[in-house]
Amino acid sequence: MDLNYSPEDREFRASTRRWLEANVPKQDLKTLDERKAWHRKLYEAGYVGMLWPNEYGGWGATPMQQAIVQDEMARVSAPPAINGLGIGFIGPTIIVHGTEAQKQRYLKKMLTAEEIWCQLYSEPNAGSDLASLKTRAEDQGEHFVVNGQKIWTSSGPIADWGILLARTDPKVAKHRGISCVLLNMRQPGVEVRPLKQITGSSLFSEVFMTNARAEKSDLIGNINEGWAIAQTTLGFERGGNALGRVTRYVTAFNQLVKATKELKRGGRPLIEDPAVRARMGRIYADLEVQRYAALRVLSALQKGDAPGAASSITKLSYTEFEKRYYELALEILGPFGQLMVAREEFEEVDTSSGEPGTFATAFLWSRAGTIYSGSSEIQKNIIGERVLGLPKEVRADRLKA
Amino acid sequence: MDFSFSSDQQLLKNSARAFLDEHCKPATVRLLWDDPRGESESMWKEMAQLGWHGLSLPEAYGGSGLGMVETAILLEELGRAAYPGPYWPTVLSAAAIEAAGTDTQRKRWLSAIATGDARATLAFLDNDLDWDPAAVTTRAEKSSRGWTLSGTKRFVPWAHVANVLLIPARVPEGPSLFLVDPSAAGLKLSPVQGMDLATRWVHLELDKVPVAGDAVLGAPGQAASLITDLLRRGAVGAAAEMLGAARRCLDMAVGYAKVREQFGQPIGSFQAIRHKCSEMLLEVENSHSAVYYAAWALDAKAEDHEVAASVAKAYVADASRKVCGEAIQVHGGIGFTWEYDLHIYFKRAKALESMYGDVDYHREQIVRRATR
Repeated sequence: MDLNYSPEDREFRASTRRWLEANVPKQDLKTLDERKAWHRKLYEAGYVGMLWPNEYGGWGATPMQQAIVQDEMARVSAPPAINGLGIGFIGPTIIVHGTEAQKQRYLKKMLTAEEIWCQLYSEPNAGSDLASLKTRAEDQGEHFVVNGQKIWTSSGPIADWGILLARTDPKVAKHRGISCVLLNMRQPGVEVRPLKQITGSSLFSEVFMTNARAEKSDLIGNINEGWAIAQTTLGFERGGNALGRVTRYVTAFNQLVKATKELKRGGRPLIEDPAVRARMGRIYADLEVQRYAALRVLSALQKGDAPGAASSITKLSYTEFEKRYYELALEILGPFGQLMVAREEFEEVDTSSGEPGTFATAFLWSRAGTIYSGSSEIQKNIIGERVLGLPKEVRADRLKA
Repeated sequence: MDFSFSSDQQLLKNSARAFLDEHCKPATVRLLWDDPRGESESMWKEMAQLGWHGLSLPEAYGGSGLGMVETAILLEELGRAAYPGPYWPTVLSAAAIEAAGTDTQRKRWLSAIATGDARATLAFLDNDLDWDPAAVTTRAEKSSRGWTLSGTKRFVPWAHVANVLLIPARVPEGPSLFLVDPSAAGLKLSPVQGMDLATRWVHLELDKVPVAGDAVLGAPGQAASLITDLLRRGAVGAAAEMLGAARRCLDMAVGYAKVREQFGQPIGSFQAIRHKCSEMLLEVENSHSAVYYAAWALDAKAEDHEVAASVAKAYVADASRKVCGEAIQVHGGIGFTWEYDLHIYFKRAKALESMYGDVDYHREQIVRRATR
């Protein structure tokens, strides 16, 4: 056991810090073009696609280096790269399961954010039970005709391409009739309607497909074998943002400290109230444990251990923590915690997910983490079955009729 | 960066597990409940022969010169076995003597502790129940032959079997740490029994207890930081033991959920039980991260070792209470019976929760450092 960073990692951190100090944009990035330009700059510096193999335009870096970059970006609240789903999940899926032609066509443009990607998995009636999805892709020889509806699609309005799960054989058991195919989002048969969330903004969309066309050459893997591909997709990339996420929590904690020093109750700063201190101590202990756990995950990734189902523990841990964290922060701040616009006592909080904003924004966003990418309940099912080896539950869809 | 155990550390863990599975079975623990001393002399001697008592002592005193990570590995296994005896108070006292003792004091005690010939303990808590070492109320007054100590020490672990007591007391310049003979005049020991029958506490009344002039550890009045360090180390050790108790309870709960059937199914197939077990695993794994991060930080004198120690104690206290309690819930009625072994570990975790600084104390330490 040795939790010191290696000299190489320390040097890498120092050079990353120098680069960011020289290059982080001084103003907020407002337009998509500005965000793409920043993304490209990050990519050319070697900070995007770090774990991708060199032959597909990646940098062949280590998980630790990737985590250090995310951590340093969080430290200076640098705007993130875009196309996160593409680079984190969809690209690796194409690398593992795609044809050579698909790799040549899509990967480089994904890395450089020339083309933005989204994921077309969830449906109004297929959430946790994703395999019950109803969107159909009918085989027309050279291409598929796609009809159906997807939901909770991040980056929908800006996406050029989507990775789609659709039913190609309705006659077999639900897991067996699903295929995975790439869909051009820029066609008349695809309509994207933004969804307004509880934060008031619209980062998700609904996607309606009406006689949309997907090329046969864009099928990933074999027909009707899309479910297994979707399973591997969900396993990529846990841990890369582990340190950066915690650093953003710490940045927010420092804002909380500042606020509790400035806000007074009965003439005394909140920070002097023992009840407030007890809550702050609880938050900080919890936060530090997230950091230790992140280091543990990273150390395993460094050694080449695939976390597998254990990555469900990580996801469950930090998303549930985030809810406790902002609940306690809002308890401490009272009505001030509910303000949606930054003011003197409340600078913007660097939230680890979602969008920038106040503690109120972060509090609202914390409700999302335990739902997306497999809800906490699904994670607990996975942990129970695959880590603890508890027996599978009896489910109606597993019983023979 | 490597968060996993080295092969030597894994070997130590495996051999500790094997030894305790054989020599410290639940039945052994139960037998010792009724023993006046509460511990087994033969187990103590065998542990010493395995090198456990001198694990972190210098080789010159018969030790192995290892660190807090190795000590935590052992303590986790001891907690997993709900080991009854003065192992941690003795080893922690040895660390104090090693850190601050004179040559004579080290020679007198360290080899004897390493060979299993001596036991020791530390009396952190005074009558006012304040864990802050600076707040010590027991007084030491200069006498013709040294000092006399007066005051009350509460919940001192295993003092009734100790050959030497490490007692913090105040001199005008500040807190000091004294080596006190348990049979000294004016010292009254009374047993205090909590719910964990395998943990023994002692109430100490000190009425002008004579202590020799050379029985001070370090300079008189200068022991505040030494005692704080010991409390911190003690807290990490206690967290390791609580982690062990929690992991035992988790293992028992998962094992039971796989075989116990209701409604024609193993209860582990029900989400109500499976989700509980998953939450327990999450708490146990986070506790593992907290304990071993803190142990490493103490060894490496990392910048954040003070916070890390308090984080470990505060976090694992909550986590182990939850995990051990939920294990009873998973078991249902059988988990509430005296005959079933779960309560042994449930009570051990509870006993340690309030020792070496309780959750409130450690949260306050964390806030002081995190809000500077």
